[in-house]
Amino acid sequence: MRMKRNKTSLSIFDKITKDHILMGTLYQKKDKIILIIFLFMISFCVFAQNEKLTFSPQWLPQAQFAGYYVAMDQGFYKDEGLDVTIIHPSASASAFDYLKKGKADVISSFLMDGIKQRAKGVPLVNIGQLSQHSALMMVTKKSSGISQLKDLNHKRLGIWNSGFDDIPIAMMRENNYQIELVRVLNTINLFLMDGVDALTVMYYNEYDQIINSGVNEDELNKFFFSGYGFDIPEDGWYCLESTYSEKKEALQKFIKATLKGWEYAAQHKDYTIHLVVSEMNKAHVACNKAHQSWMLDRMLDLIEPGNKNVEKGHLLEQDYYRAVNILKSRILSDYKDSDLLLENFYRPLAN
Amino acid sequence: MNNLLKMKKNSLSFKIISRILLACIALGLIIFSLYYYFTRSTIEEATRKDAISLAENSINKIEEIIKPAELIPTNLAWIIETGSIQKDSILSFLTKLVKNNPAIYASAIAFEPYSFSAGQKFYAPYAFRNGPRIETTILGSDEYNYFIMDWYQIPATLKQPYWSEPYYDEGGAGALLSTYSVPFYMNKNGQRVLGGIITIDISLTWLTEIVNSVKIFETGYAFLISRNGVFVTYPDSSFIMNESVFSLAKEQNMPELREIGRSMIKGESNLTSVNDPEKGKVWIYYARLPSTKWSLGVVYPHNEMYASLRKLNMLILLLSLAGLGVLVFFTIGIIKRLLSPLTKFSKSARVIAEGNFNAELPRIKSNDEMKELHDSFEFMQKELADYITNLKETTSAKEKIESELRIAKEIQMGMIPHIFPPFPTLKEIDLFASLESAKEVGGDLYDFFLVDKNHLCFAIGDVSGKGIPASLFMAVTRTLLRSVADNKKSTAEIVGSISKTLALNNESNMFVTFFLGILNIRTGELKYCNAGHNPPVLIKNKRDAEYFKITKAIPIGLFEDFTYTEESMVVEFNDQIFLYTDGLTEAEDANNNLFGNDRLLAVLHKNAEANPKLLIDETKKEVSRHVNGFAQSDDLTMMSIIYYGGKPEK
Repeated sequence: MRMKRNKTSLSIFDKITKDHILMGTLYQKKDKIILIIFLFMISFCVFAQNEKLTFSPQWLPQAQFAGYYVAMDQGFYKDEGLDVTIIHPSASASAFDYLKKGKADVISSFLMDGIKQRAKGVPLVNIGQLSQHSALMMVTKKSSGISQLKDLNHKRLGIWNSGFDDIPIAMMRENNYQIELVRVLNTINLFLMDGVDALTVMYYNEYDQIINSGVNEDELNKFFFSGYGFDIPEDGWYCLESTYSEKKEALQKFIKATLKGWEYAAQHKDYTIHLVVSEMNKAHVACNKAHQSWMLDRMLDLIEPGNKNVEKGHLLEQDYYRAVNILKSRILSDYKDSDLLLENFYRPLAN
Repeated sequence: MNNLLKMKKNSLSFKIISRILLACIALGLIIFSLYYYFTRSTIEEATRKDAISLAENSINKIEEIIKPAELIPTNLAWIIETGSIQKDSILSFLTKLVKNNPAIYASAIAFEPYSFSAGQKFYAPYAFRNGPRIETTILGSDEYNYFIMDWYQIPATLKQPYWSEPYYDEGGAGALLSTYSVPFYMNKNGQRVLGGIITIDISLTWLTEIVNSVKIFETGYAFLISRNGVFVTYPDSSFIMNESVFSLAKEQNMPELREIGRSMIKGESNLTSVNDPEKGKVWIYYARLPSTKWSLGVVYPHNEMYASLRKLNMLILLLSLAGLGVLVFFTIGIIKRLLSPLTKFSKSARVIAEGNFNAELPRIKSNDEMKELHDSFEFMQKELADYITNLKETTSAKEKIESELRIAKEIQMGMIPHIFPPFPTLKEIDLFASLESAKEVGGDLYDFFLVDKNHLCFAIGDVSGKGIPASLFMAVTRTLLRSVADNKKSTAEIVGSISKTLALNNESNMFVTFFLGILNIRTGELKYCNAGHNPPVLIKNKRDAEYFKITKAIPIGLFEDFTYTEESMVVEFNDQIFLYTDGLTEAEDANNNLFGNDRLLAVLHKNAEANPKLLIDETKKEVSRHVNGFAQSDDLTMMSIIYYGGKPEK
């Protein structure tokens, strides 16, 4: 039985040290001592100037977070004068836990989860929206005979135990379907073995895992929630209100450098995949390039506003209220209306 | 080989050797192709069997370990169902179980919610190895919700045993593990309901060793994929648990590999080939592990299958080349030795051709075709020498005869008068004659002489046959004519007399056509007798030419007592008598067309005003034109007499 242990951290210090070594080779041996002292002083100055910022994505290393690794590796954060540390959540501590406990200054999270946390009273704010679309979907095997949404009525739908279930539940309630929800951890095996009739998946992740387990695309029926009026954006950036006040400028730079990282990733996919795979290897997470390439491409699709009237990095008002309404009417209770006003929830820091 | 190059390209040796060489190479290629084809098939078949048996053996080895291990939770499920184990002794039972089964890394009995005790949602006693010790714990909490974990959820949902996808346990075992889960049942209110799941965790290290021990050729290997196609073992360890056969197919853009993967996870077994971007064509045999439903693949590169064959081919090729070299070397030697007499024979033949029939021939010791050639040469030499000797004799004899014939001709020509004009004092007549023999000596004759001062005797004849006999007969006839003719006898008497004499002892039955005339040069009276000769032509007054109208009679020399008749006519001033033998009228051209009587008459008519010599010359020219170079087949004799006597007074 698997006992997960996932911990990784990256420091800008690694990058600086590397540069020092490169420079060092340019100098003669006799100057070595002077040089080392000189460089040490410079390093010290750099540390002194750079503002420290800790970021936590909502999951283990994968291409979903490629832009952050690229921004780090390419020195985009350093260029903005930031000393960013990335910490990944574990089975025992989520990104929200890190945020609440002050271990992370800024985290990445789904919009729905961000709203739910705020409704529960966590004083967090959205400072920018990376993903503009929903990648959430359901798949069924064609052999199951389920080809339309209504065919799901009275069927078994596998769904994560950990969350992301608001939209499927909202969809069920809107259509008044009786669907048996079967909680699964995070694998697709029960679905592959026909233990459930349908499975909730992310298009960029589990869907491709199913394909990479030998099921062909044409053997599957796809139900994108975005196609049923639930195109709710996902990954966005959150920080505590206090952090927002204290580190506003640094957070602004963080978003700028991160978006630059994603742009660089879009133009240098091979390099990006290589970087992602090495991050995953460091974290001892199973990975392969084929799947990570798929995930990167899908993430890049999600970042593009497409037909939505919104700038990159910003949250569209309609999207926000659609999400709030889904949550308010079906799931949430006991919240303060003022907390969920857009102007209180959303404090845009993207340019 | 140098020898071969030195040889002239058109020499016999070169031709023989090059053909033998080509034949040998062609034969060698055919044999090699057949050998290669059959060896390849044999190797392919053997490799196929080898790969299959390797795979089956590995599967059997794995099954030998897994099957007994599977029995443990299966039996345990049955024991629990019977209620033989006390609830408080489960942990110690599991500890003993793990301790006594080295193949098992850990074991758990996980109960359904609230089924172990009413107030307890989670209850999963768990015993596991920690170094040499066996430790225990109770799994299950809101953080460790085992009900939604594959190892519990899948067998519980499907109500059947389940081998989990392999996983790497970093915490305790530090090894690749797989969990085998078996559902167990309990009696609740008289009903058999699911009680929970019994698991054993098995380390897959031994399995990796079994699979990795499979080696085929240089780089052939075996691998194992899980039910999802994930690599459980692979030569490149970075693939293990990271790549699946499907992700690999996608990364390397090998759709056929994906199809193989699908077939593998369906539990099929097959031998097939796939094009690897690095190794080229590779063969893969795969079959399913019946217990875990994983699939084992044995891979070997197509090229390596023939590596030993290629080495052997190289050896054969080198040996063949060496053999061919030796063959050429010896063939050149043998052929040169065998054919060397030919060059000598050729030299000898040249010497012989130059006339030295005693030229030395090469010595042949063998008893083969060369010996036959030698004997033939020797025979030819001898025959040539004999022939030449013979030829010399014949030639000298022939030369002798020819010279004798020449002399005979001179004698013959001496017999007939050939001084023209013959009678310059006689104004009344002009005469010209010509005799051209077809052979050295001919059978034609003409003669003229004055019997007395007023009578000119003239004759023309043609002896049957040609050559010496004809000329001898002609000489006799002419001699007889000279001795018989006088002014007292009529032409018929003279001809009769000659005929009678010739007929005596004429055993060879030769005869002469003969025309005899006696012209009275004062009066112009012409008496004549014809013995089977062509009628002469009379040209009247240098104008009209016409044949004599005469009785033909038989040639002389045939009968002793034949009586010839004399005829007569009177020739006048300027009349010309033209006599000839059949050599004129029967002169042939290349197409066997005769000159003919009419043409003769036409020629004479045309030249009616000419004197005898001119007339005869013109006639000869006409004949030459007619025969147009064709060989003269008969003697050509002409005689013409023009009469100027009886001239009318002016």
